[in-house]
Amino acid sequence: MQNRRDFLNKLCRGTILTGLAATTGILVFRSAKSGHCEIGSSCGNCLKSDSCTLTAAVLFRQTVWQLDPTKCIQCGRCAKNCVMTPSAVKVVHVYAMCGYCDLCGGYLKPDTKTISTAAENQLCPTSALKRKFVEDPFYQYTIDEALCIGCAKCVKGCDAFGNGSLQLQVRHDRCKNCNECSIARDCPSDAYSRVPANKPYLLQGIESSSDKNNT
Amino acid sequence: MKQKIMIISALVLLLVLVAFMVNDFFFSKPDNTNPYEFELESVRTGDTTMTAYTETRQIKTTLEEIHGLATDALGRIYIAGKDGVEIFDPSGKAENKFKIGGTAQCITVDENGNLFLGMQEHIEIWNDSGKQLSEWNTCGADAVITSIAVLGDDVFVADAGQKVVFRYDKKGNQISKIGLKDPATGVPGFIIPSPYFDLGISKDGNLWIVNPGRHSFEKYTFNGTLLSSWGKASMAMEGFCGCCNPSNFAFLHDSLFVTSEKAIERVKVYNPDGSFRCVVATPDQFEEGTKGLDLAVDKQNRILVLDPVKLLIRVFEQPKK
Repeated sequence: MQNRRDFLNKLCRGTILTGLAATTGILVFRSAKSGHCEIGSSCGNCLKSDSCTLTAAVLFRQTVWQLDPTKCIQCGRCAKNCVMTPSAVKVVHVYAMCGYCDLCGGYLKPDTKTISTAAENQLCPTSALKRKFVEDPFYQYTIDEALCIGCAKCVKGCDAFGNGSLQLQVRHDRCKNCNECSIARDCPSDAYSRVPANKPYLLQGIESSSDKNNT
Repeated sequence: MKQKIMIISALVLLLVLVAFMVNDFFFSKPDNTNPYEFELESVRTGDTTMTAYTETRQIKTTLEEIHGLATDALGRIYIAGKDGVEIFDPSGKAENKFKIGGTAQCITVDENGNLFLGMQEHIEIWNDSGKQLSEWNTCGADAVITSIAVLGDDVFVADAGQKVVFRYDKKGNQISKIGLKDPATGVPGFIIPSPYFDLGISKDGNLWIVNPGRHSFEKYTFNGTLLSSWGKASMAMEGFCGCCNPSNFAFLHDSLFVTSEKAIERVKVYNPDGSFRCVVATPDQFEEGTKGLDLAVDKQNRILVLDPVKLLIRVFEQPKK
């Protein structure tokens, strides 16, 4: 009786121990074999794997709407067609590209007689683009996002007369991330696409948009 | 009877309503007009009544890329660009073409017929037969040479990279730097947001340098003393547009300035005092986005415009009265 009980006890313990050893062995083997997991997971699954539930992998699989500034033709539909009022599309300023010009094509109307901040000289219909003197002859331009309606007038002006540092982008603190984006549906240049949520901005002219992505 | 009329009226009303809905669902087109339209066509067209020149000739180059244009005292035309230099007689007939090792961004010809080529960070001197005479590597690794002017034993080199003009002698010895910011002497320093930085020597022997970020011309002695400046930033025809213009200039025989701009591609003439005189070419004559319209004036006082997009030298003349 005692022997049979001992035998069963040892058998159960042995089975559990063997199972544990086998699982550990498999995990170690898979980890060594894959060796390039982008998020440091030893499970061997790549980020795209649906089974991976790590936050980084979930973010990787999620996508958001964004527009490609190189395709944008400044048609004004981003301001009109968004379900948000005002639009979730805003102008973003890539300072690395800006010439800090006094005669800024994105700020001033082309037929301006004098270079000043007078309302009649400003290209922006809502005065969302602000101008601040830095040092002769440089001026810094910033965007008041609360006022910006995403009409792209300044983007067109900056493209035509400057370096193209003003660019439209979907701002994800406002965007509802609709399944079917009403702007994307009518975009005449197919500038909209879904991009990974962990790299949600497509700014041009800088090596990496990580600064923007971190905001 | 009254009830019948009411039923018919209600039916008609319903039909009208259905018709409206069908029209709205299936036949109405979305309103794609842009209430925020920024119309740039009028800016690009400009006022054609100010145009005093007509295009009389086009000279086709066989170079793959063209960047620099010059003429000599005999009226010969020189084009420099990617891997080569091409020489034409005053009528536009090709005379010679030779290979160089790289891309020349600018070219000038001295009174001996030697060609000075600005090759990004160094200068090469060639004769018109295609023999390299010397090479100067004294501008520094950060140099972006955009223009060269030669008079007698003086060679002036515009460097957009280091935002300075170098003065050399003909042997390649650096004599001085011109245009460095110095509040004590009133030199404002060059503002060069893009690699377009031109210079030239006027008939009265002064050095004129474009300060593109300030939209102005600055007049210096060969020693680097600032004498005067003129220029106005404006999208209007009288001024220089965009972030940084003019991109290039040349002198007509009567000391008038011929200027070219980017962003709004236009070529204009200014009086020696800086007042606007007339238009040579309007933006609609160039491909949109054309940059680097280098200029030269030949023996017959014709204005030559280098069109790097169409790979042409375009000749403009005032119509004979």
